Amino acid sequence: MDIKTINYSKIDEVVHCYEHKSGLKAFVIPKKGYSKKYATFATHYGSINNEFTIDGENTRVPDGIAHFLEHKLFEQKDGSVMDKFSKLGSSPNAYTSFSQTVYLFSCTDRFDENFDLLLDYVQNPYITEESVEKEKGIIGQEIRMYDDNANWKVFFNLLDAFYEKNPVKIDIAGSIESISKINKDFLYKCYNTFYHPSNMVILVVGDVDHKEVFSKVEKAINVTDKQPDIKRVFPDEPLSINKDYVEYKLAIAMPVFQMGFKDSGFTTKGIECLNREIAVKILLEMILGRSSNLYTKLYNEGLINNTFDFDYSIEENYAFSAFGGESKDPLKVKEFIVDEIKDLYNRGISKDDFERIKKSMRGRFIKQLNSVERVSHMFMSVYFKHVNLFDYIEVYDNISFEYLENVFNEHFVVDNLALSVVKPI
Amino acid sequence: MNNEIFSDSHLEEVASFKGIKLFWIKTQKFKTNSINIFFHDNLSRDRASKNALLPAVLRRGSKEFPSIRDISNYLEELYGTSFDCGVTKKGENQIIQFYIEYISDKYANSDVDLTKKAFDFLIKIITEPLLENGAFIDEYVKQEIKKLSELISSRVNDKMHYAVERCLEEMCSEEPFGIYDYGNLEDLKSINKDNLFEHYIEFIETLPMYVFISGDLKPNQIEYIKDSLIKLKRGKEIEILKNEKETVVNNVKDIIERFDVSQGKLSLGFRTNIYPKQEDYYKLLVYNSVLGGGIHSKLFQNVREKEGLAYYAFSRLEKFKGLMVISSGIEILNRDRAIDVIKNQLDEIKRGNITDYEYDAAIKSIETGIKSLKDSQLQLVDFYLSQFIATTNDKPDAIIEKVKSVSKEDIIEIASKIILDTVYFITNKEKGE
Repeated sequence: MDIKTINYSKIDEVVHCYEHKSGLKAFVIPKKGYSKKYATFATHYGSINNEFTIDGENTRVPDGIAHFLEHKLFEQKDGSVMDKFSKLGSSPNAYTSFSQTVYLFSCTDRFDENFDLLLDYVQNPYITEESVEKEKGIIGQEIRMYDDNANWKVFFNLLDAFYEKNPVKIDIAGSIESISKINKDFLYKCYNTFYHPSNMVILVVGDVDHKEVFSKVEKAINVTDKQPDIKRVFPDEPLSINKDYVEYKLAIAMPVFQMGFKDSGFTTKGIECLNREIAVKILLEMILGRSSNLYTKLYNEGLINNTFDFDYSIEENYAFSAFGGESKDPLKVKEFIVDEIKDLYNRGISKDDFERIKKSMRGRFIKQLNSVERVSHMFMSVYFKHVNLFDYIEVYDNISFEYLENVFNEHFVVDNLALSVVKPI
Repeated sequence: MNNEIFSDSHLEEVASFKGIKLFWIKTQKFKTNSINIFFHDNLSRDRASKNALLPAVLRRGSKEFPSIRDISNYLEELYGTSFDCGVTKKGENQIIQFYIEYISDKYANSDVDLTKKAFDFLIKIITEPLLENGAFIDEYVKQEIKKLSELISSRVNDKMHYAVERCLEEMCSEEPFGIYDYGNLEDLKSINKDNLFEHYIEFIETLPMYVFISGDLKPNQIEYIKDSLIKLKRGKEIEILKNEKETVVNNVKDIIERFDVSQGKLSLGFRTNIYPKQEDYYKLLVYNSVLGGGIHSKLFQNVREKEGLAYYAFSRLEKFKGLMVISSGIEILNRDRAIDVIKNQLDEIKRGNITDYEYDAAIKSIETGIKSLKDSQLQLVDFYLSQFIATTNDKPDAIIEKVKSVSKEDIIEIASKIILDTVYFITNKEKGE
């Protein structure tokens, strides 16, 4: 068995990797002394993949199907696989994001049996029409729950403001209407297209023996046929924003808002993708963080409170920054931000701020490595971009002020700024 | 070989003086160290709002770091040290927490003693606030009253938590536990820089303090912290009351709150009248796990999996107050059906219908939960703090053993002690409202 080991001595971390003959890659990140063992089996398939072509044939599937499939995979011929995990005292879970579906469990004992279960059920779907119908009730309530959730709504409305066609704007779970069209055949079609081992990855984080993990993977993966050629189809998206303002109403006490810049002209794979992510995040911290002038102004004016936060996402075919929280007057917040950005174009960004914030974010990154869950989630969020989680440390150590200035000019373009507000009814 | 679960994260009591207890959780596996300082008060209407406001004002500035900007700049310089504070309630205790977490010296590429810097910062935030004419800064107090009022009003934004908290509050509307830990709008109006400062002096001198240091530290660093704490000006500490009385339910309260919502939120509040010091408590833990403590539970299996009524349905204990709450998000029209299904699960346990699967998985999931605590410094601290509040001082291994010794008969016996007190429902507005 060919195992590669990479040492990250700056942060005392190690990654072991192994590639199965099917094309599946498996990774182990040892965490000595931890009780929890956290295993993940993920596919590069998420809510945005609602149209694809296999061997020349084009298919459009109902919105929300990747998430629906995630729910249905837990069902097995002899009952729910969740019960089997539960019997072992472990917690199984799964989540669907825009570009991936992730199956996982966390356990403290009997790792081997748990891991066997994970490898088995993700490879063996058992879907019946009857169970599909029942699931529509449960997912329907999940959708309703999000319908009343102002933070969720305000975020998806921001995506709607950014994008005219990009499927990232569609709710991950779909709608009550779209899931009503989901059936067994659609689910199997998506499964057979996107759950080929070569499109998937396995990760174990915890105090485990990596050789044993890999030999289990070697035995458990039985697919050797070649993956058909999948083409993920995405509509052409204009570079400019779709709308600059979206408003919605819900039963809340105080308005919530999200605003941000739609990004374009970015690289989506490799270390350059991390460079850009960190550059924008440093800039956001410099411009809007608690140590910034703007934050103090907004805070003292009573325009923001402790819910104020910001982030940047960069994926296969979209990238954007988003910042927001509760505010009595989101339009006023936007005015302040626009003024600050314009002023920064004249004044220039500060090199001292850059050095200090880079150091700070590097420290916060190291802090996150304390948690096996965080390590797993962060690993997955960058894996399909062909980078390794621990590469972040090199990004922090090498990013330059000149690069940051370039990214500032590219990203913080006022014409690309959109605002989404949810107001009280 | 030491087989104890927490052998690598032992709690050591370093010192106890002037109503201050200092603990050290010795552990080497984390890349950060943390310091937590807790002040304990009795939850009461006339102090809750002031206790909630106080940390918010203190984190606005100290003598050394007079503004949010100065504080943030400094923490960023200290390699992204995290600092926060806030309030919470455990039973009828209101707890005011100050927290700081910083990377281990070896990742800092310099020879600064980060522990000393972090502790000095934190203790000065608490004991050397920015003052003007012998009181807090008027502007800071006014702004933070406004922000806290916003926080209180915005509770409704998150209906899932709101439905749980409001159910418990309605249940205990005549008891201190019914007080919201962040205070209330009316009381906030009467607070100003002077009376808050008066409260602060009493707070800092008389509330019992628990200090937890966690991480890979040197003995001289611990000594430094101890010596600094000894110098604090302290008076006679107040007594923290323990209220573990038996509450009788005469009739079930039925509470409805209306909002423009698309999903109904149903919460059922129960009295267990069982407290952590009692032997019954471990039986209650297993009972709760069987009923609604995970995917193996009756609520998940029936309300969600079998009936398809909900995406989530769980039960949770408020262990310090002898309460249990069940909560679920459902189609508004399904309210009565959901209540029937839920009540039927409680009855099933009473009737002794507990499968081996439910029983085994319930115990194992508690065991996994306890073993998992030691992977997080914050959870470790919270675990030990809770032990002190409940005065149980149980070790994790002992809890696991006690839980394992609970039988099905024990669970059935507990079922008869769980009394429904309040049914709380968030529903949509009626036409014309």
